[in-house]
Amino acid sequence: MTSEDRTNPNREGIELPAPTSAPFVCAFGVTLIFAGIVTNWAVSIVGFVLGIVGAIRWWHEVLPDNRKECLPIDGRRPTIEVSPGGVAHLMTAESPHRARIPLEIHPYGAGVKGGIAGGIAMAIVAGVWGWVDQSSIWYPVNILGATVLPDFAHENATQLAQWHTAAFVLGLVIHACMSLMIGLLYGVILPMIPRFRLGFAAVAVPLIWTGLAWASLDIINPLLNQQINWWWFIGSQVAFGLACWFVVSRSERIGTMQNWSMLERTGMESPGIREMGGDG
Amino acid sequence: MSTLNAQPVGAPTPPDALPQTLNSGKCGMLCLIASEITFFGTLLAVYLFYIGKDPVGTPTPAEMLDVSVAPLKVVFNSIFLLTSSIWITLAVRQLARGNIKAFAVWWLLTILFGLEFLVGTGFEWYGLIAEQGFTIRTNLFGSGFYTVVGFHAAHVTIGLFLLSLVFVLTCLGKMHQRHTEKVELLSWYWHFVDGIWIVVFTIVYIIGH
Amino acid sequence: MTTLDHPGNPTRIKPTFLGRMHEWIATADHKKLGVMYVTTGLIFFLIGGLEATMMRWQLAVPGSTLLSPSDFNRLFTMHGTTMVFLVGMPILLGVANYFVPLQIGARDLAFPRLNAFGFWLFFFGGLLLYFSYFGAQGLYGMGSAPDVGWFAYAPLTERTYSRGHSTDYWILGLLVSSFGSIATGINLITTILTMRCRGMTLMKMPLLVWLMLIDAVLIMIAMPPLAAAQVMLLFDRLLGAHFFDVQGGGSAILWQNLFWFFGHPEVYILILPAFAYVSEIIPVFCRKVIFGYPLMVAATVSIGFISLGVWVHHLFALGLSPMVNTIFMGSTMLIAIPTGIKMFNWVGTMVGGKIRFDTPMLFSTGFLALFLIGGLTGIMLSVVPFDWQVSDSYFVVGHFHYVLFGGLVFSIFAAIYYWFPKVTGRMMNEALGKWQFWLLFLGFNLTFGPMHVSGMLGMPRRIYTYHADRGWDLWNLLSSIGVLVQIAGVAFFVWNVIHSLRKGREAGADPWDAWTLEWSTASPPPDYNFEEIPEVYSRRPLWDIKHPDDPDWKYE
Repeated sequence: MTSEDRTNPNREGIELPAPTSAPFVCAFGVTLIFAGIVTNWAVSIVGFVLGIVGAIRWWHEVLPDNRKECLPIDGRRPTIEVSPGGVAHLMTAESPHRARIPLEIHPYGAGVKGGIAGGIAMAIVAGVWGWVDQSSIWYPVNILGATVLPDFAHENATQLAQWHTAAFVLGLVIHACMSLMIGLLYGVILPMIPRFRLGFAAVAVPLIWTGLAWASLDIINPLLNQQINWWWFIGSQVAFGLACWFVVSRSERIGTMQNWSMLERTGMESPGIREMGGDG
Repeated sequence: MSTLNAQPVGAPTPPDALPQTLNSGKCGMLCLIASEITFFGTLLAVYLFYIGKDPVGTPTPAEMLDVSVAPLKVVFNSIFLLTSSIWITLAVRQLARGNIKAFAVWWLLTILFGLEFLVGTGFEWYGLIAEQGFTIRTNLFGSGFYTVVGFHAAHVTIGLFLLSLVFVLTCLGKMHQRHTEKVELLSWYWHFVDGIWIVVFTIVYIIGH
Repeated sequence: MTTLDHPGNPTRIKPTFLGRMHEWIATADHKKLGVMYVTTGLIFFLIGGLEATMMRWQLAVPGSTLLSPSDFNRLFTMHGTTMVFLVGMPILLGVANYFVPLQIGARDLAFPRLNAFGFWLFFFGGLLLYFSYFGAQGLYGMGSAPDVGWFAYAPLTERTYSRGHSTDYWILGLLVSSFGSIATGINLITTILTMRCRGMTLMKMPLLVWLMLIDAVLIMIAMPPLAAAQVMLLFDRLLGAHFFDVQGGGSAILWQNLFWFFGHPEVYILILPAFAYVSEIIPVFCRKVIFGYPLMVAATVSIGFISLGVWVHHLFALGLSPMVNTIFMGSTMLIAIPTGIKMFNWVGTMVGGKIRFDTPMLFSTGFLALFLIGGLTGIMLSVVPFDWQVSDSYFVVGHFHYVLFGGLVFSIFAAIYYWFPKVTGRMMNEALGKWQFWLLFLGFNLTFGPMHVSGMLGMPRRIYTYHADRGWDLWNLLSSIGVLVQIAGVAFFVWNVIHSLRKGREAGADPWDAWTLEWSTASPPPDYNFEEIPEVYSRRPLWDIKHPDDPDWKYE
């Protein structure tokens, strides 16, 4: 039962617990005890007797010492083929066995700047749409505010073209937060995209985002849905993507800390160690 | 060919990965106690949930379990059960020293104290059922009371049965110093039965009262 | 000594039938018990599948009268109970029984006799449950099976509403078999904590062992409360107690809480082994180490913790306070994080690997796809308003079949194809295996995909028939046709097992070129598992021996 005989000194055989029918008898007895509850008390009596018989057998197995049987070694011991070489490595960086990606990232600051630039670009396109379509630059602002102020959705186009302080403040806050967050995401995700980063930033993501908004807005706020020109919506998203991509990709990349050596991570500076966070 | 035991060149010698203080017997008993605690925990949680929710009203726990009416009975029994934990500890200590006779004496004392508790519970139940007509069907309080206290008594019974088995083996001269560990594990179970009684007593006789 | 019935055993004597029966009944060997667990589980799987087939047959067209309403109630009760307690539990315990000692370099479980006791309790508990078909009204009348649903909500289970003994059989059969599960759970914890070979520290254990450790802890914590609740229900029915008797002040809501306090961890008890199997299989068939081993361990432990605190999401439709609903909605969403980590780690293991799509890997990939769908609908259901909309509809049925059938059963098939050579010494047939996979995959999606739609259209679960004007006809017909395809898939599996047992290719010790210790011993393993207890230096001991120029211990 205990694990004291971990390497067997006796090479002739190996000791294992001896087979015993005690658990089988005991379990059958216990089941009959329960079965008697729904059939007949006599079944329970039989079960109890069987349980006791099984238990006594069981105690004979383990008291005063566990009964064991000695099994001969049957000699079927497989050989393990040694096959050195032939191991391909995923990457040939400094630490190939447990490679960590990405090796380089854009600084978070670049994402923030990209978000601001993208937000401005998007606002300009949206303003142009408002001016061209409804001859009021407040129109898109009010639409954005209407996503959280449900009353606005019921207003007609003339009312939406007017100045509303609440909608302006809310729209500004929403727009700023969204721009910053998506800018940050761009900063983090762009280095991970292997190819076509411009296509990802300025085509794929705007299309996906527009599709998501288009599909869900129809369910969330169908009235609002009628007020939006989706082609212009895509245009403003593309403007955001372009501006954000431009700012982010112009920033200087930095190596991730995972590739620093132990000394660098602990912040030691001495001759022979490359510059902190340098060309990882 | 290569074997699994040959230490490869340059590899650090593997540490013995097992904890020194925890063998299989102890670990198994601790797990058993843990699962028992969740079992009793469920019963007691239900008991606590139903305190004061009886639509029938009478008899209330206060009427039935008034410690002031029979001030000594339950407390007296509880003291017997709790002190038996001390005797079993002393017994195991004697066995570890190889002192079989002293072990038998303390062990018997444990059994007798446990038995007193069981008999005391029996009298209490007899009084409630036969004299006051208070059964498991009477109301919610009756259901909870008999289930919780009954399951605890069942565990005491199982414990006493195992303790008696060890005592019989001792009398037959089959217990030796090398069995200390198995006997100690049994004492852990007995400590658990005692410990859970403190919780049952607190909830049924003090909080529920 | 006992005679061994293995091919290649030098001292092979043909034993008599009775001798062989005695050998299996009296065994305390973890490998024999493991085989018995899995075999019994698979037989119950066929029975439970038959019950499901009958239900789908009835539901194929509106207004069908093949089954009476009460027969239908018995079928869905027995189907659910069988699949959870008599299929999922024994198979996961059986695989753990067989492979945990082999993977940690031990010769048996910590308590071999208790292990046999646990198996026989499960076995007889299952028989007792099915005996209800004959004896549920006592030995004096025609019996019948439980018909109260697998979660047996009070007060339907009280004596007033459930006459006869059918509900008692449900209680007693499950009580007996859950005692067995608790015993085996304790056995597994003890084995893993105290019987590992030299060098196998906790962080060098194979992931199967880690996951089964957490699984066993969940069994130990979650099953005794079910036993307590069932005992209280039994006292209600037999002794006239009032725990769940609403007229006597008892609370039906309390039963729901108690049942799901067990029931939700039970879902994770069932799915953690699925994670365990694919965590072993995917690295071997991608020829890469598992991606993010420490994170996998951390995610497993956190799933174990969080799963104990989400059960109220089964009670959203009950009308508890918004605060309670919100808290449990949050905890339910929280559990998606560690589960998501696991998904990404499996995919991360596949990225850049040299993937071999043998049958075990096919089933593992199928698991990833189907479990992902089941997990995503699970997150949808965790949102309280959405849950209110589709609670107790076929949407829920579709969701949990994607998790438990697409997740658990697919991974069980992966595990069987992966470890069959180790257990029997023979390979399973690849061609038959691929037929089985594609038929099962197609049939599965055909059956359970449309259930999401019929559920959204408002079809409640557990109805025995429906009117033709509800727009549910097409979706139900599709589901029922899918069952036929699945039956074909399972038939291929049965054929494959019988065929491979007799004529399968000899496997050798290590057919998959794998890395954990069970592949270092013969197939089937000798009774003592290892001639010498191994020593390990890394998470992949066999890799170290096969590749002495590039061993793992240099990096761990």
